[in-house]
Amino acid sequence: MSALADRLRALAAQAGSAVPGRSPDAAPTATADRLRALLAGRQRRSRVSLAAPAGRMLAPGVQDVAADHAWPAAPTVRLPWGDHGEVARERLVWFDTETTGLAGGVGTRAFMIGAARWHGGVLRMRQWYLTALAGEPAMLAAFADWLPPAAILVSYNGRSYDAPLLKGRFRLNRLPCPLEGRGHCDLLYPTRRRYRGRWENCRLATIERQALGVVREDDLPGAEAPAAWLSYLRGISATPLGRVLDHNAQDLRSLVLLLDHLAAVPAAA
Amino acid sequence: MLPERAVLTAQRADLGVRSAASLAERLRERYGDRITGAFTLPARAARYAAFPDDLGDGVRRALAARGIERLYSHQRESWDALARGEHVVVVTPTASGKSLCYHLPVLETVRRREGKALYLFPTKALAQDQVAELLELNRAGDLGVRTFTFDGDTPSDARQAIRLHGDVVVSNPDMLHQAILPHHTKWAQFFESLRYVVIDEIHTYRGVFGSHVANVLRRLRRICAFYGVSPRFVACSATIGNPREHAEALLGVPVQAITESGAGCGERHVVLWNPPVVNPDLGIRASARSQSTRLARHAIRARLKTIVFASSRLMVEVLTKYLKDVFDHDPRKPERIRAYRGGYLPTERRATERALRAGAIDGVVSTSALELGVDIGALDVAILNGYPGSIAATWQRLGRAGRRQQPSLGILVASSQALDQYVVRHPEFFERAPPETARIAPDQLLILLDHIRCAAFELPFGAGERFGGESADPFLEVLAESGVLHREADRYDWIADSYPAQAVSLRAVADGNFVVVDRTDGRQTILAEVDYSAAALTLYEGAIHLIQSQPYQVERLDWDGRKAFVRRTEVDYYTDAIDHTNLKVLDRFDGRRAGAGTCHHGEVHVVRHVAGYKKIRFYSHENIGYGPVNLPDQELQTTAVWWQLTQAALADVLPSRQQALDGFLGAAYALHTVASLRVMAEARDLRQAVGSGDAAWFAGRDGGGRAQWRAAAGTDPAAAAFNPTVYLYDNHPGGIGLSEPLFAQAAAILADAQALVADCACTAGCPACVGPVLAMPDAGPTPRALAATVLRLLAP
Repeated sequence: MSALADRLRALAAQAGSAVPGRSPDAAPTATADRLRALLAGRQRRSRVSLAAPAGRMLAPGVQDVAADHAWPAAPTVRLPWGDHGEVARERLVWFDTETTGLAGGVGTRAFMIGAARWHGGVLRMRQWYLTALAGEPAMLAAFADWLPPAAILVSYNGRSYDAPLLKGRFRLNRLPCPLEGRGHCDLLYPTRRRYRGRWENCRLATIERQALGVVREDDLPGAEAPAAWLSYLRGISATPLGRVLDHNAQDLRSLVLLLDHLAAVPAAA
Repeated sequence: MLPERAVLTAQRADLGVRSAASLAERLRERYGDRITGAFTLPARAARYAAFPDDLGDGVRRALAARGIERLYSHQRESWDALARGEHVVVVTPTASGKSLCYHLPVLETVRRREGKALYLFPTKALAQDQVAELLELNRAGDLGVRTFTFDGDTPSDARQAIRLHGDVVVSNPDMLHQAILPHHTKWAQFFESLRYVVIDEIHTYRGVFGSHVANVLRRLRRICAFYGVSPRFVACSATIGNPREHAEALLGVPVQAITESGAGCGERHVVLWNPPVVNPDLGIRASARSQSTRLARHAIRARLKTIVFASSRLMVEVLTKYLKDVFDHDPRKPERIRAYRGGYLPTERRATERALRAGAIDGVVSTSALELGVDIGALDVAILNGYPGSIAATWQRLGRAGRRQQPSLGILVASSQALDQYVVRHPEFFERAPPETARIAPDQLLILLDHIRCAAFELPFGAGERFGGESADPFLEVLAESGVLHREADRYDWIADSYPAQAVSLRAVADGNFVVVDRTDGRQTILAEVDYSAAALTLYEGAIHLIQSQPYQVERLDWDGRKAFVRRTEVDYYTDAIDHTNLKVLDRFDGRRAGAGTCHHGEVHVVRHVAGYKKIRFYSHENIGYGPVNLPDQELQTTAVWWQLTQAALADVLPSRQQALDGFLGAAYALHTVASLRVMAEARDLRQAVGSGDAAWFAGRDGGGRAQWRAAAGTDPAAAAFNPTVYLYDNHPGGIGLSEPLFAQAAAILADAQALVADCACTAGCPACVGPVLAMPDAGPTPRALAATVLRLLAP
């Protein structure tokens, strides 16, 4: 069997495909790769003891991080998009996922789901993340269970990114999708309507800095999140994943602020 | 002036006949010396069957609206087999009502809201044809069937509606591979109710492309299993030698073959035509082009609807011009001649198809684009300008002429190429040979690796899970090592941030294609793509790269970046790489005696080294210079079949090593020609080499076409045993399954090669038999005689 694997490697190189560590001028890298593989292998063996960066184990492979913040706010809010009108704040679920990449298709998954709800002056935040791939159905089920009956989703670019991706994951795990048929207020659209052309782009990081005055400290750029999670999954380090949790939590807080900001400033402004 | 002369020519071309049968007869009388073979296939009466009882009124109404009151026997057979739950492959000629074999069960199923269907066609034109037919049937029967095309041109806002509401989705294998399967969760509703998968023109899915498509279908079945469905497969094919075997290899399921057409047809005349020799000394013949034009003029003058097939887009334009000069010189009259080829706008092609169906035009000149089942109605005469490369494609093209009741005529006009000359001089081969078998090698390691990668993206693999019969474990291991899969307990999950289907082209073994970038006037535009395997031989710096016969010179080759930068140039020469092939046998799978020698097949290691290139002047073909090439060696581990003679076997017959090598090179050339014919291979998929069995030396041709040998590095050829060997090898890493059938048919191939060499009209050897011979040996036997000797020694 490994002879076949060897043949495959050799053939792939002959066919001109860029197989890692096979082109002759990359010999030192190949050695480095082998070393890295050896090291990773050693760490992988000790992986059981690589502690999750935060939270409690909800089910094998899923960690659950819960945090409450005092958050004074009016009990109702007028949504800046869609025809929901004035709604009870308790129905809102802000959510944001961290995914394994932007390639798209069934092979991209969410390894972290962050969500927030408001109840009686308190913002309750939950973050679920995978410590093993086998935890995915439990993570999805936990998120679904946490949604209130008449939930209205609030996201940033979630209508075209996070929601379809999660729908696919629910389908793949043969679970009913809790997002189907829900109201969904994607704040990207009203933000664009209001601020298009004012700043360099309409990314959440830009908007929160310019419109909300939020300044992040030691933030892990979103693009590095997939590598951070892989590094944890492969048993190399848990630290970067901890920073992904912080990043995701800040995204959620900014989302909550942004909704009120858009609701408060008249559309004509 | 030209039009007047053309009119005169046209009048002369009128043979005074008004039917295909009498045209065939008149041609035989008048041009007997050019006709190397002529035969007639008798008329066949139609066989009918009643509509099945469970066919609903709506579909019956739709059929009645098209004047169909009963079915052909093959249409009914296919219905019955599908009703029994079998998969089917339908193999009947062009215009036999093949598409109703799948439209009927699909329309009935959809009408009853019992399921959906996926149609796959190799080209967009065919897909649009079938969409049009379905829409028409749906309208006529008021069936409520929603049919959509899903291809690269489908706008993204329409895609969601198609996924949710399409009853019949018409697409192609590339879209299934790159857009549908990798997004299958978006198609969940479609897959959950998928009842039929229709795959037409499966004879086009052979070789590398077919091997990829077979794996795409394995992935499709895997996704279907996930959604709990097992759709029926309906495959259709032009006539090939092994329809059932091919369909089963492609679909991965047992199928019922329906091979008897119930459609009737008139008497069919077939004529093989060799252009007359115009220069007996050099053996030069009149061009196929001039002969095809003349024949088309005869046919159109005789008021026969005529199609001319040409091999290239350029040739289509040239032939169209020649015919238009004769028939369309008066702009006030409606057009009689049209061209049809890829590269025209779809609307223009549809207009030509309609005009053909309506009988509004008299002649059409086409590339292979009209070889497949595009509906153009029935024609009277098909003229093939050059041999299309396979018996199956020849029949497919000839089959374009043929009406239900009237006789038709098909003429194959040979060009001067080896394969053409072989076919036209062996009418008995053509008449009797079963059509080629279509071969695929879906378990080719690299192709399998590509598709297991794509499949793992679509659904996780369990350890021990099989993919196409084989355990996927070693592949999953390699993929996990490269970091794209993550293993957890007994499961492999996709983990990388990439979209593997994007990187896998169904048309190549591996994605190493070079792009050719035009630098002329600072353009920096992509002109063409060249396979990795052909790059070293065609894109070296200094090479003249011909595109649509326009010369471009390669200025820079970025090997690692897979780019060649070229500039438009004006030169009177082309370039030909001088390459040396070293070949070493790694493993013998099987072997047997072959006359005084042996024949084997097995695994080989091939090293190709491009040493330089020659500049060759157009028309005169004289060698006007050399240039150096500095490129890495090309290594290839592949499968081969080979014939070997020992020094002892040669000693009495061919004692001179020079003569033996000349004989082997000629034999290799002839074997390559006939073997390509047998396995339906593209010439570049199969290559030949001559050397010793132990990689000690190799033989190539010098500038005059004579053999010269080279020792492999570090060996002394004089000291080594002289056991010359001729190899035919798969030109793809890992092989694509050509060598095994070649070994099985080795005796027949050798006999074909002997016949090719023995029956050639040349004296010493020519491109039609043993390869070009530019410098004659001063004395002794000719290269052609030497090749004949080698082949005789190897003959059983």
